[in-house]
Amino acid sequence: MALTGRAGLVAALWIVVVLFVPGPGYAVLAGCLLLLAAIVTDLVFAGSVRPLTFTRSGPTSVRLGETATVELIVENPGPRRVRGVLRDAWQPSAGLSPKSVPIDVPPGERRRLVFELKPTRRGDRSSEAVTVRAFGPLGLAARQGGHSVPWTVRVLPPFLSRKHLPSRLARLRELEGNHPALVRGQGTEFDSLREYVVGDDVRSIDWRATARRNDVVVRTWRPERDRRVLIVLDTGRTSAGRVGTGWPRLDWSMDAALLLAALAVKAGDQVDFLAYDRAVRAWVSGASRTELLSALVNVMAPVEAELVESDAPGLAAAILGRAKRRALVVLLTDLNSAALEEGLMPVLPQLSSRHLLLVAGVSDPLVAAMAAGRGTAEQVYDAAAAERSLAERRRITARLRGHGVEVVDALPEDFAPALADAYLALKAAGRL
Amino acid sequence: MAVALLVVATAVFGALLAGGGEQGRYLDPDDASLRGSKALAQLLRDRGVRVDRVDSVETAESLAREGERLLLVGAPWNGDYSEAERLANISGDFVIVGDQPYLDVLAPSVDHDGQARLRSREPGCRLPAARAAGNAYLGGRTFEADGESCYAGSLVTAGTVTVLGSGEFMTNLRLAEDGNAALALNLLGSRKAVTWLVPPPVGAGELPGPGGRSIQELMPDNVPWAVLMAVVAVAVVALWQGRRLGPVVAERLPVVVRAAETVEGRGRLYRARRARTQAAEALRGGALDRLTPRLGLGAQPRADEVVAALAARTGLEAGHLGTALYGAPPADDAGLVALAGYLDEIERQVREH
Repeated sequence: MALTGRAGLVAALWIVVVLFVPGPGYAVLAGCLLLLAAIVTDLVFAGSVRPLTFTRSGPTSVRLGETATVELIVENPGPRRVRGVLRDAWQPSAGLSPKSVPIDVPPGERRRLVFELKPTRRGDRSSEAVTVRAFGPLGLAARQGGHSVPWTVRVLPPFLSRKHLPSRLARLRELEGNHPALVRGQGTEFDSLREYVVGDDVRSIDWRATARRNDVVVRTWRPERDRRVLIVLDTGRTSAGRVGTGWPRLDWSMDAALLLAALAVKAGDQVDFLAYDRAVRAWVSGASRTELLSALVNVMAPVEAELVESDAPGLAAAILGRAKRRALVVLLTDLNSAALEEGLMPVLPQLSSRHLLLVAGVSDPLVAAMAAGRGTAEQVYDAAAAERSLAERRRITARLRGHGVEVVDALPEDFAPALADAYLALKAAGRL
Repeated sequence: MAVALLVVATAVFGALLAGGGEQGRYLDPDDASLRGSKALAQLLRDRGVRVDRVDSVETAESLAREGERLLLVGAPWNGDYSEAERLANISGDFVIVGDQPYLDVLAPSVDHDGQARLRSREPGCRLPAARAAGNAYLGGRTFEADGESCYAGSLVTAGTVTVLGSGEFMTNLRLAEDGNAALALNLLGSRKAVTWLVPPPVGAGELPGPGGRSIQELMPDNVPWAVLMAVVAVAVVALWQGRRLGPVVAERLPVVVRAAETVEGRGRLYRARRARTQAAEALRGGALDRLTPRLGLGAQPRADEVVAALAARTGLEAGHLGTALYGAPPADDAGLVALAGYLDEIERQVREH
């Protein structure tokens, strides 16, 4: 049960009566008894909450930043009208509105309630309970009861970098020869012979074929297809740090991973995905080309950075165990010299002997801004600290490159396109 | 903040109130202020005289039944007439300090005579207690009686009753002067015990209001019931507000930690320790890392090669360049700021040329 503000108001107004009647003691007693009787009457005649039945419908996933509309149908099989308020209790970051709605369901009828979800965070958001408070005819007291009507909406990563996809796909088509261009590199595959046009590389003339025909003929090449790309997301402590003022590293890495996956799928490569810190957090393998992106966002959605140091030997073992054939291993982590020095460096030879490794890390625009700070001594000391961390970053980058590892280090906004460009460059060079 | 202010205000207010009440109780054997008589009571106790501080007639009567004692009525006794009569009927010696409302009841054989200035006076009589004591600070009221009359009439005896024009000489303030202490001890130390009567404490709640009625009596009968009803109303409102519409939903939130925090922390450490050597080294290292690729020198160029190439490229003085890039660390913070500015200038020049 629950009381209402009206009951409090009645009790407060009765104080005035008590002040002015001759027998105040009796007035208090009478007031309390009357109020109690009215409350009991209200409770007896209020619509019953327990037999209400609920049905939900709506989407089960929504992209972060977009709005989902979830419907709740309330059916009242009881003999009395249920008039009151209903609250659908979602987690706070589900961004539910309205928080509670007034309902009025006559007996035997049903009403449709519409809630809007505007999640503020990635992950699974669920409804804990639906609570109904049904007022009595006097409006002094209400019956209240909860129902469990489970519904979960998975909030997917927003994939903001998809705006970069068309330009990268155009570059990819150039590579593949769909556009009139002649591309040649190590490990590329022979495609076809065609007539020489002015501007073609003379080195690509096929003299044997030219001799057979009266025309100069050139060979065309196309990039390798059906290569393997393994995107590895480090979900350890270094991914929890927020760069700039917004997202953690992990979310920027996910964004870049999605762009890379979309691009690689179009390029005809097989994309696998692994999220790892001290255990496998997510694993997608062998998804079909059309379903890869949805599979990726689905497994990425609930992944959060854990506050543990990543287990680099375990990560290497997981990669080697899953990628049997040579693959491009894209490791999305932080280029933190201390963490990489102790973690990745010792296991690097194992990985780079079998696979082509690309390490990508988001750099922090705040550090870049601090490095440019001048004017007061405080700002210069901060700038010196920032320079030092940048120098460490450059050193670890140089060491990684020395081991034949590709490195992408970019500011958050440029990170996804930079990674896509690095992939395209590798593809163009036929190094996959 | 507000709570602290409130506490301080309460303490100060309380101390002021207590200070206001602490003006000293006149001729009180437990009062150590200038108006009290604790010193005299202490002297009496040292001489083996029992001093009982009494603030009601009943206690005085019960003490008197235990044996021979002396009753001292010091500060004006503000009881009613019947109490004064009961006091007068107590057996034993009396020492009464002048301005009592019921002096005629307490000492019927003593008549009020007049006034005399309060000062140090000679005994001027044959009373042994006064003669032994010598000069004493007396005066105030003067009396007529059939016994001895000393100190210009401000100390008279009539049988077992001694009346004093003023009790000022027995206070802590005056006791050490002249023969005051001797006179007081002679007067009060004649018996084994002294019943020292003080006015009963006056409580604030017992102050008679208008018509002798308290605020509770003035209030209409309805008010307490209305307060009870208000309590009920508050309880109803509490029940209304206390009932939540459904459960509280908990959510596991991710940690919010800024990645730049470690860098900021290092900056503050540099700042706190004035680590100009390390700071200058970091700034120079960063500048060199950006400059050397633009100069077209090898991977690990020597310092003089870099300085020479920079001087040729920018036209800046080689000595200055050498000091800025490879010199000693700056001597103070201003030097460090200047160094950072100069390094920026070199980089800008190299970019533009």
